[in-house]
Order: sequence, then structure tokens, then C-alpha cells
Amino acid sequence: MFSGILFRSVIRLAYESGTLVATGPERPPEPFVWDERTEQWRAPASAYRETVLRLRRENIPHRDAAAAFGRLRLESRIALEPRPYQVEALRAWRAAGLRGVIVLPTGAGKTAVAVEAIGRVGRSALVVVPTLALLKQWYSVLHDAFGESVEVGLLGGGYHQVTPLTVTTYDSAYIHAERYGDRFAFVVYDEVHHLPAPKNRVISQMLLAPYALGLTATPERPDGEHRLLPELVGEVVYRRSPEELAGRYLAPYELVRIPVELTAAERVEYAQADAVYRDFLAKHRLSVRSPEDWQRFILVAATSHSGGREALLAARRRREIVQSAYRKGATLETLLKRHWSDRTIVFTKSVDEVYALSQRFLIPGITYETLARERKDILDRFREGRYRAIIASDVLNEGVDVPEANVGILLAGSASPREYVQRLGRILRPREGKRAILYELVTTATGEEFTARRRREVRF
Amino acid sequence: MLRNEHILAHVNRGRVVPHRLSADDGRVTEVAERLIACYESHREGPRSRLERELALLEEELGPRLDARRGFKVVRALGKLLQDRAEWAPPTSADPYHVRTRLFELAAQMPEFPAEKPDLLQSPTREDVISRVSRETGLEDPVQVMYADRQKAQILRQFERPTPEELISRYNLAQVQGVLYSARELVVDLGREADAELIFRYAKLMELIYRIELTGSGYRLCLDGPLSLFGPVRKYGLRIAKFVPGLMLTQPWSLSAGVLWRGREAVLELDSETSGLTSHYRRPGDEPGDEVRRAFRKAWERSRDTGGWELESGAGIIPLPGLRTALVPDFSLLNRETGELAHLEILGFWTERHLIDRAAQIREAGERGARVLVAAPEGLGATPEALDAALGKEVIWYKTRLDPRAVLENL
Repeated sequence: MFSGILFRSVIRLAYESGTLVATGPERPPEPFVWDERTEQWRAPASAYRETVLRLRRENIPHRDAAAAFGRLRLESRIALEPRPYQVEALRAWRAAGLRGVIVLPTGAGKTAVAVEAIGRVGRSALVVVPTLALLKQWYSVLHDAFGESVEVGLLGGGYHQVTPLTVTTYDSAYIHAERYGDRFAFVVYDEVHHLPAPKNRVISQMLLAPYALGLTATPERPDGEHRLLPELVGEVVYRRSPEELAGRYLAPYELVRIPVELTAAERVEYAQADAVYRDFLAKHRLSVRSPEDWQRFILVAATSHSGGREALLAARRRREIVQSAYRKGATLETLLKRHWSDRTIVFTKSVDEVYALSQRFLIPGITYETLARERKDILDRFREGRYRAIIASDVLNEGVDVPEANVGILLAGSASPREYVQRLGRILRPREGKRAILYELVTTATGEEFTARRRREVRF
Repeated sequence: MLRNEHILAHVNRGRVVPHRLSADDGRVTEVAERLIACYESHREGPRSRLERELALLEEELGPRLDARRGFKVVRALGKLLQDRAEWAPPTSADPYHVRTRLFELAAQMPEFPAEKPDLLQSPTREDVISRVSRETGLEDPVQVMYADRQKAQILRQFERPTPEELISRYNLAQVQGVLYSARELVVDLGREADAELIFRYAKLMELIYRIELTGSGYRLCLDGPLSLFGPVRKYGLRIAKFVPGLMLTQPWSLSAGVLWRGREAVLELDSETSGLTSHYRRPGDEPGDEVRRAFRKAWERSRDTGGWELESGAGIIPLPGLRTALVPDFSLLNRETGELAHLEILGFWTERHLIDRAAQIREAGERGARVLVAAPEGLGATPEALDAALGKEVIWYKTRLDPRAVLENL
């Protein structure tokens, strides 16, 4: 009888599709609101931490049927000697109640901080990343670190396997978090500046996770929405700039720019295609200086009855000549030969070029198409020295880790300064006595020259 | 389904008008035919070749439809055809193994394996390839090394539509695409609409509804759990998948607040003028439909119904706790006393279905609705078990339900 009364006065919390539902005779605390549609008290799942803390503080009897996460015995297999600033960062994060954002420059080992944090928290964890390349990279890192204690799950990019230690993308989390949001006690947001985007915000609402860690080199967003970060993940608890870590922890590098000239035959063909293209531009009073201009050209050419189709074909041919310039391939071969005893990464923008060059030079290629396991396999062998060179399309951008490379060859890239900086960051890994070289192959007599010049103006 | 990049629409005075194609337009049907034929002719061919061909068709056929957006229309039609295709790998060899051997052997060379042999007899690319060729028995390992790429896949199956089917699917897919950014969906249902079907789809898509009575029927507002805390567009995809279900019945009209090119706009449609056809399959006759028809006929022939009248439209009993509503087969109104009762006829359903329905009927009873239940003799459950599950007595019938048996229980 007595226990019956006691039971009835208990607030019961349950997880339901990204929300927290409270039942019981009493009104649950803020921010629960009455949902008339289903006749329940409801709050966003993210209210879990505050709600439980408050119920405990005020000694309100409650039963937690919401949390489906448990302890994890995580023993890292890789013995890492954390750098002093990494130790400081973790300490600051713990002092803030295992919530908050850590800001470290590209190449300073943000991933290592997160691995350490996941091990310390020792609960089921979800890692949210912006790209499929990072999804695969994190899989590889977590598998190396904790693969013996727990199976690493993947959600997104064709993978749908959710385990107590799962990596997902912002896009997949947006869709699926409501189904799995009760299973994780800890959430790590990589490149956390993506989280305040209007669409992504909902993700943190749908997760119970009382512990959260955000990682980024640049928390600020042009739209000012980083002001939401404290609410979504926590305050910035630690911050170091590239200048503070330069020299000691980020390796210096040398930039070598190699102009690649077209062969005589290519030059003739290029000039012909270029003439057709430019005539069309002149005839229609167009100039192409930006992607929008290019869109306008396509539009005019596609609808023009006289010479539009020819102009389109000429524009395409022009690009192809540059892309597949004979001397570019020959130069690349020379560089691969010269650095056969180094670790070389070749970057290119084009996925098709990756596969073509991979087949031509018999070096492994990595693109967004490469499956997580194979990607890990290639990078592992590259790290061990069983592969001397790899070629990758844009997938190695934004925080993807390639520890052992000391030679980079950039084939053709866009003029985005951020992209450029981050690509360079890939090679700037601290390694004793390492001298990194970055080659940039730019085909002359083309627009690429301009692109390269603009890029080199970036200072950091 | 289409992707965001395929969606075309324009906004007119705050209303978003999804792009549509007319099956009466010869140019449109020709484009549809050409695309279908393109897929058809690439059966057993590699995906890369089909995609190249489709890219050319975009350039060729696009401007014929619309000078500016034609290529997008063609691309969208292509995507809908792609949804009907199945692909298979082109070789029985394991490309992963082949390329891994090529890379390993190349990397083991003391010097970079050159493309051409030189006087110093340095290792060449050919040395590596011929060794892998010997190992695997493949004539040209380089040809096979990336055969597992999507582009190398072979078109194995293609479920060919008629041009009209493709155009109809396109028009609905554009409407669905506009709904991807919907915050909520408001549906006005006429009394003749099959409300039960609609609740079935709402539940299937895990949408939450609010319901109000209107002069001509019901108004449903559909969104999701998080919508309570402010507008979210997260449920737009589910709303988009719900709408073809709605279109299996009529009459209805709908409106949704969507985001088009960063601007708020409203999508409005109704069953009378939409001209859209659902591609969902209409559920067949339910077991018991025959009994229901016979019951209505018998009722209409009955001389004395004690003041009770069979209502034409079905009643809806909202069951918020169960995320659905009970739509009983018949509603009975007593003109003299104003009493309202409902009649639900159970059929030879699956056990799961029966349990769900029993829970709904009991919940409806607890919410104050009067629901009579009729069930055929020989139904899986024993009379006692069913009585207990429902919390009330069941009117049993053999082959047809006699109105008198119902009247006795009223």
C-alpha cells in the first residue's frame, strides 16, 4: 500500500522520438510543456541533463526510463603522449562539467583530444562530423583506439550500423537522431561550427546526451549564429591560435610552384578551342570571372541557336586539354620518382582524375566513393610505409588526418583560400626533423595560373 | 523521390506552384519516351555509358521543353527512372584484391615503376601488371581494378513505365519535393473521405495530428514531436511521403507552409483540381467489406430501427494517447434522443491488427464514446478473450450481421 502511494507520486521520464516525455501526477519542471496533441508533458530531449539535475537537487522522486545508455569499458590501444595544450584543454572541459567547445588550429590534434575524452567519460558516445571523408577517418581512428573493447558503428553514407560508439554525419543525425538519441551519454561534434546552422541545431535537441564536446579551429560563423553554441554544446572552454602553437607543434614547409607548359600540339588545339569560346563570349558581350558568370555563359550557350553548342563543346575541350595535359602527367611521374622513398600525397579536384592516375601510376586512390574499411586500410599501409604514395580527391579536406606525409603535390584546385589553408594543414604534421614540401602544378596559358596566384596571397 | 536539386517551382503571390508537365503535350511525351528508350537500350550495359548518354540527352532534349530549366526537367525524369533500375557488378573477379596487389607490388619496387623501360633496366609498370596477371589469371588487371565503382555497374533490371506514368510520377514528385521543407501540413477532409486510410498513413510516417471538426468534415494538422517547441522543417520528408497516401482517397484539400528559395510560401492543393495521381497502391478490399455492404442494405430495408439512423459519413474518435484515431465502420444517431453510437465490425484480421484495434476500441470507450463491436464467429480469438480485450460484449454473427442484433444492443 505504502509503496503504491510512493510509486504514484514519482515522475517518470521517457524518451520519445527526439523528445523527453514526463508522466506522473505532478507537473514536471521547466521546460516541459503540455502537448495537447498527445496529452503528455513534453520537452526537447536536450533538457535531460538539466531536468535530472534539478529533480535530484530538489529531491523529487523520479524514475528515469529515458536513458538507454550505459557504461563502456574503453581501453585505448594507442599509447599517446598528449601534448601539454591537449592536457590543458581536457582539464578545462572537465572543469566545465564535461560540456563545452575546444578551439585548436588545424593539425593540432583535435581528434586526439576527443579520443582521450571518450575514454575518460567511459560511456556510449556519438561522434557527429560534417563530411563522409571525416566519417571514414573517425571510424578509422576510433577503431584503432577502441576496436578491442567495442565495435565502432557508422551511420550515414550508406552505412547504418549503430553501436555504443558510433560515427555519423550532421545530415544523417538530422534524420536519424530521434531514433537513437537515447542511446548516447556523450556527443562529440567535430567541426562544431556546423552545428548552429538552422537545420543542424535540431540534432542537439534530439539527443539526451548530458555530456558534449565541440571541436573546431574556427567557431565563428559569418551569420553570427555561433552565439547559439553555449546553449547547444557549452561555452568555449579552451582556445589556442595557430600563432601560439606555430614552430613548436606545427611543422614548417616549403612551397614549390611548378609551371606546366602545354605541348606544341596541345597549345594549337587549346588555341583553337579558346578562339571559338572567346568569339562566342564577345558576340554575346559576356565575360567569365566568377561561377555566376559561368552559369550565365552555360545558359546563353544552351539556348543559343547559332554557335551555342559549339561554344559549350569548345569550353569543355579547353578544360580537358588542361586537365589531362601530357606534361602534367610527366611532371607528376618525375616527382613520384624523385620522392619514391618519401611519403607523398597527390591532391586533385577531380574524382575521375584520381582513378585515371591511380591506374596509370599504380598508386592507391581515395575519393568519396572509397568505402570506410578500404580507406582505413590504404591509410594504414601508407602510414606503415607499405604504400609510398597515394592520390586523393577533395576528401582529405577539413580536418582529415594524414600523419606521415611529408610531400604534397597539388594538381588543380579551386581558389578557395580556406580550402587551400586546410590542405596545407594536412601536411603540416609535427614529426621530428621533418621537412615538408608542397608542390603546386599549374598549367600555364590557362585560368589556373590566376587561381594559384590568388591563393598564394593568403597569409597565415 | 527527387532530390532538392531537381525541384522546380515558382512563387505567385506567396503561393508556391510546383512545376508540372502535361501528358497532352507531344514534346513532353516524346522526351519521356526518349528517356525510357535510353534506359531500355542500356540494359546489361555499364552505368557510365548510360549516364554519359543521359547527359547528352539533357543538353539535346532540355531546351525543347524549356529554354532555361529544360535540362533540369530531363535530369529529374532521369532520376525517377533511376529509382526503377537495379544494378549489378560487371565481373566475378574481386577488384579490391586486384588493385591491392597492384599497389603492393608497385610499392615494393626499389624505384618508381616507370611507364617506359629504360637502358638501366629499371622496374616498369608492365612488370607489376604482368605479375598480377599471372597471379589472378586476368588478362588485363588494370581494366578490372576499379570494376566495383558505381560507374562500372551493369543495368540488370529496369521496370519500364509508360510515358504517361513517368509524367504523372514527375508531377507528384515535384509536389513532394516542395513539401520537403514543410513545417506542417493542414488537411481538410470531407466526410466521404476514407479517414481510416489517412490515419494509417499518418501513423506509418510517424506524424502527430491535431483534429478539429469543420462544417464539411474534419481538419487535420500534421507535424512531429519537436514541432511543439517551435517550427522545424524536419518532418517535411515524412509529410512528402504521407501525401500520396492522402491522394488515394477524396475529397480533401491541403495547405503547407514551405520554404522556397529562402522565402516563406504556401502550397495549396485539393483533390478536385490537383490532377495528381498517387503512385501508392490502393489497399484492396478488406476482409469484412462484404459484410458491411450487406449490413447497410439490410439496415435500409429494415422497417423499424427504433429512431436510430445510419449516418452517411464515418465518425472519427481521436485517440491522442495511441497516436491514431478510431474510424468506426458506422455511426448511428438517434434523432429523438440525440444519442450517438458507433459500430465497428471486426474481420478475419491478423492477430496484431486485432490486438491494435481492440486497444483502440477500449481507449475510445474510456474517452466516453459508445462503440458496439460485431465479430464473425470462428474468429481466432475465443469469445471470452475478445470480451476481455475489448472490455465489453461482442455481437457475434455467422455470415451476415442482422440489424436487429445491433438494435438489441443499442
